[in-house]
Amino acid sequence: MDDRDRAGGQPAPSPAAGTNEEDGRLVPQMTASAETAREDDLRFEAEALPYIDDVYRFALSLTRDAADADDVVQETFLRAYRSWHTFQPGSDARRWLFTITRNVFLRSRERERRHVDLEDGDLEALSSFVAATDQGRDGSDQILSRIDLAPALRRALNELDEPFKSAVVLVDLEDQSYEAASEILGVPIGTVRSRLFRGRRILQEKLMTYARDAGFTTAQRGQRGSKDD
Amino acid sequence: MTECKRDIDCRGAVQKLWDYLDHELTPERMDEVRRHLERCGNCLPHHEYGRVFLAALASARQADARAPDALRRRVMDSLRAAGLST
Repeated sequence: MDDRDRAGGQPAPSPAAGTNEEDGRLVPQMTASAETAREDDLRFEAEALPYIDDVYRFALSLTRDAADADDVVQETFLRAYRSWHTFQPGSDARRWLFTITRNVFLRSRERERRHVDLEDGDLEALSSFVAATDQGRDGSDQILSRIDLAPALRRALNELDEPFKSAVVLVDLEDQSYEAASEILGVPIGTVRSRLFRGRRILQEKLMTYARDAGFTTAQRGQRGSKDD
Repeated sequence: MTECKRDIDCRGAVQKLWDYLDHELTPERMDEVRRHLERCGNCLPHHEYGRVFLAALASARQADARAPDALRRRVMDSLRAAGLST
């Protein structure tokens, strides 16, 4: 493209224009450009970098591996820096960074990615609580409050497939609203709901398996454990 | 699924339970579910189960997880290599 094409017929400054003393106007123009770049850098440092712990925790939740999380975090901030000009001032930088984080994570897992289409959130919600009902009849719901589930949940989360994991991590661990998760994941809210509910149901099933294996089961009351097999 | 002979439909209430627990319903819907739970002994255990489950899930959040210093340095190094001037 001809340089003149870029600025309404006006010649665009060449890289050396700023040192051309014959055209005094260009020198301050380049200085202003450098100043703008520096201001952008300062804004990036002030508005994006403070979220490195949040990004790290989110990456760790997704990858469940410290080395993989490190790679995702580094790539996230690199991409964020390179596309900082697209960030809308005043919007939620944490949410924006989470979007990039998940994209970086998915790219790194592309070969393992599984595509699951689930749109009916109501059915997922219902089936989830129906499962809970059945477990409740065995008294298994009380198990949730009797034992320390955190280790089992971390393991279950580790095993949870995408796209369910991202939805659960964002809403249940990172306390994002459905709307925010929808924006981060780039899917409609209904899809967030269905992924979230399905993910929770899978986690519940894994927890009940864990509870049975740990001897907390009430299977002697009906041997309902076979329903999850 | 259990049935309830109350004037509010149990199926509808259970369908909305996750949204209710996540505070994602409109205020009117929140009230509707809350009133149902107050009156329906069959649905209340579902609510309690979901509440306890979500609390346990939230506890799995590694709130104290901080980016290691080595990672911070690595990120800053890569950003400076990409042009960060500060």
